[in-house]
Amino acid sequence: MSNNPFPLPKEKLLEAYTKMKTIREFEERLHVEFAKGDIPGFVHLYAGEEASGTGIMMHLEDKDRIASTHRGHGHCIAKGVEVEGMMAEIYGKVTGSCRGKGGSMHIADLSKGMMGANGILGAGAPLICGAALASKFRGDGGVGITFFGDGASNQGTVLESMNLAAVWNLPVIFVVENNGYAESTSIDYAVAVDSYIDRAAGFGIPGVTVDGTDFFAVYEAAGEIIKRAREGGGPAFLECKMVRFFGHFEGDAQTYRAKGENEENRANKDCLKIFRSKVAGAGVISEAEMNKIDDEVLARIEASVQKAKKDPLPTAKDLLTDVYVSY
Amino acid sequence: MAPLVGIVANPVSASDIRRIVSNASTLQVTDRANIILRVLSALRACGVKDVLMMPEKSGIRRHITRAYERAVNLKEDIFPELHVVRQDITSTVRDTLLATAAMREAGCKIIIVLGGDGTHRAVVSQCGDIPIAGISTGTNNAFPEHREPTITGLAVGLAAMGRVPDTIAFEGNKRLDVTIGDTVKDIAIVDVAVVTERFVGAKAIWKPENFRELFVTFSDPEVIGMSAIAGLLEPVSRRDDHGLMVKLAPPHEAKTILNVPFAPGIIGGIGINEVQRMQVGVPYKLDFPAGTIALDGERELAFDQSDDVTITLVNDAFRTVNVSGIMRYASQNGLMKVGAQKQ
Repeated sequence: MSNNPFPLPKEKLLEAYTKMKTIREFEERLHVEFAKGDIPGFVHLYAGEEASGTGIMMHLEDKDRIASTHRGHGHCIAKGVEVEGMMAEIYGKVTGSCRGKGGSMHIADLSKGMMGANGILGAGAPLICGAALASKFRGDGGVGITFFGDGASNQGTVLESMNLAAVWNLPVIFVVENNGYAESTSIDYAVAVDSYIDRAAGFGIPGVTVDGTDFFAVYEAAGEIIKRAREGGGPAFLECKMVRFFGHFEGDAQTYRAKGENEENRANKDCLKIFRSKVAGAGVISEAEMNKIDDEVLARIEASVQKAKKDPLPTAKDLLTDVYVSY
Repeated sequence: MAPLVGIVANPVSASDIRRIVSNASTLQVTDRANIILRVLSALRACGVKDVLMMPEKSGIRRHITRAYERAVNLKEDIFPELHVVRQDITSTVRDTLLATAAMREAGCKIIIVLGGDGTHRAVVSQCGDIPIAGISTGTNNAFPEHREPTITGLAVGLAAMGRVPDTIAFEGNKRLDVTIGDTVKDIAIVDVAVVTERFVGAKAIWKPENFRELFVTFSDPEVIGMSAIAGLLEPVSRRDDHGLMVKLAPPHEAKTILNVPFAPGIIGGIGINEVQRMQVGVPYKLDFPAGTIALDGERELAFDQSDDVTITLVNDAFRTVNVSGIMRYASQNGLMKVGAQKQ
C-alpha cells in the first residue's frame, strides 16, 4: 500500500505547495514593496486564500478559462502565469504580462487561459459565460471558472450570469471566495440571504460549501464539480470560506476587524500551515523538502522584484499599440 | 425563568458535495427560519415562555427577528421569548458544541435540533442527559424522523411543560464509540463506515467502491445513506439491544451485490461479504488496515496500520423525545382540549 493517503501523487502535491507558497511570498513581498511607493496604482493581496485558487486550478488545463477579480495575483499564479511577467506588470514595466499597460488589476495571459484580473466587481461572470459558450460550441471539453468575492456576489452581473449559465447549461463554475468582508463591510450587513448555496439553488444550480483553508477539501469538491461540467453536467457553484491576511487594499487600516482577528487567522487559519501539517504528518513530504521549496520561491520572488525594478517603462509610442483588436 | 427549551439550528447542513454528485436537496435559510418559527409557535401554544437558541450568522436569526417584529405590529402573541446563547460564532461545528453545552448549563429541559445526522451527533456529544428532538434539515437524515416540525414543537412543548410522563415522553438510544488505542476518539449515533480514502477532504462519502466496513446502531430499509445498506440486509430498530456490522467489498470481489440508495437519488451496487449482529459493550476491531472513518456520513478520522481501532455499541447512551408517543398520549388524555393546560 502506498504511504501517500492523499488524492494526488507526491509530485502534484509538491506542485500545489510550490504554487501556494509562490502566491504567499509574491503577496508578502508586494506588501513590503508597495509601502515604499514604487508601485503605481493599487494592489489587493490574496495572501491567506491560496488553497482556494490552487485547489481549483490543479484540475485545469490551459484550454480552461478563468475570469479573476481585483484580487487576482493568486489566480494568475495558480493558473500558470509567469511570476516574472506579473511582477513587471505590477511595476508598470514594458516586460510585464500586458506590457505594463494593465497593472495589478488587469493581468491577463490568454495562452494560459487567464482572461484577466478585473477591476470591476462581478465583471468576470459574464466574460466566463462567453468563454464557456465557446467551449460548448467547439466541444473541446473546456470549462470556465469565474471568481468573485462575497461583495461582488451581490452584483447584477453575477446573478444575470448565473441565470444565463443555467439556461444554456454552460460548463461554468461560479466560485465565491468568501473572506467575510466586502472591502470593509461584513457580510452580516450587506447580504440579504447569506447562504450562497441558496442563491444558486434559486437558479437551479447546485452548490457546495467547503472549508477554503483546507486545500484537500477544495481540491476534492472542485474535482467533482469540474468533472461534471466537462462532461456536460452544466454550471455549479462553489463557496470557499476563507480569510484574507491583509486589508482590502494595501493601506487599508482594517478598523472593521475585531481585535486579534488577523493574529488568529495567521495562527489557526493559515492554509499553508494546514497543508504542511497534513503532508508532513502523513510522512509524504518532509519539512526539509518544503523548506527547500520555500528557499527557491523566495529567491525567485527576489529576482523578479529586482528585474522588475530595472526593466524599462513603456514609451509614449507604445500608447496605442496592443490596445485595439481588429476582428 | 430558565429557558425550558433550547434550539440548535445548523445553518450550513445540506451544502456538501452531494448536491453535485447526487441531486440532493438544498434547504434554504428562509425555510430553516420558517421551520423554527413553526416550532416556536407550537412551543408557545403549549405554554413554553422562554427558548434559548444557538447564534449563527447565516441569516436565520435575522429572518426570525423580522417575524417577531411583524407579530408585535400585528399584536399577535404567538411566540415565546427568544434568548440567544452568547458565544463567538465560527460557522463551524464548534458553534453547535458550545451552544449545546451552554443550553445544558442554562438548565434547558429539551434541545430541539435542526440538521442532519452530523448535527445531531454533535449535539449528542454535549447534551448529557438532556433529551433531544430532531428535525431533519440535512442530506441523509437517518436519525431525525421526518414529520412536520409543528408536531415536533407541540410534543416538545407538552413534554417540557411536564404534561406527559417521562416514561412516555423520552426514549433511550444507542451510540457507537470509536476507540483508538485506549481513548474514545469520537462517537456516531447512526453509523460508522470505513472507507479507503485516507484523507478527510470534502468529508461526504459517495463512492461505493471505496466502502469496506459498516457498523450501525439501527438500520431501516426506508432510510437513505450508509445505514440503508444494513437496513436492506437486516432491519434493526432503535430500541433493539443490538446493532449490525457489515463487511463490504468492491462489487467485483463481493459474495453478494445489493442495490442500495446510499445517497439521495443514487441507487448503486454495494458489495457485501458478511453480516453480523453487534452486541452491546463488545469492542469490534476494524479489519481494514488504513483509511478514513466516516461518522454518520462524514469522513472524520484518518487511520493507518499503527492505530488500534475498535467500535463499541453503547446502549441507553442518550435520550430522545418520543414525538409519536407524546402525541398519542395527548390525544388519549385530551391534552390539547382548550382549558386543559396544566395550571
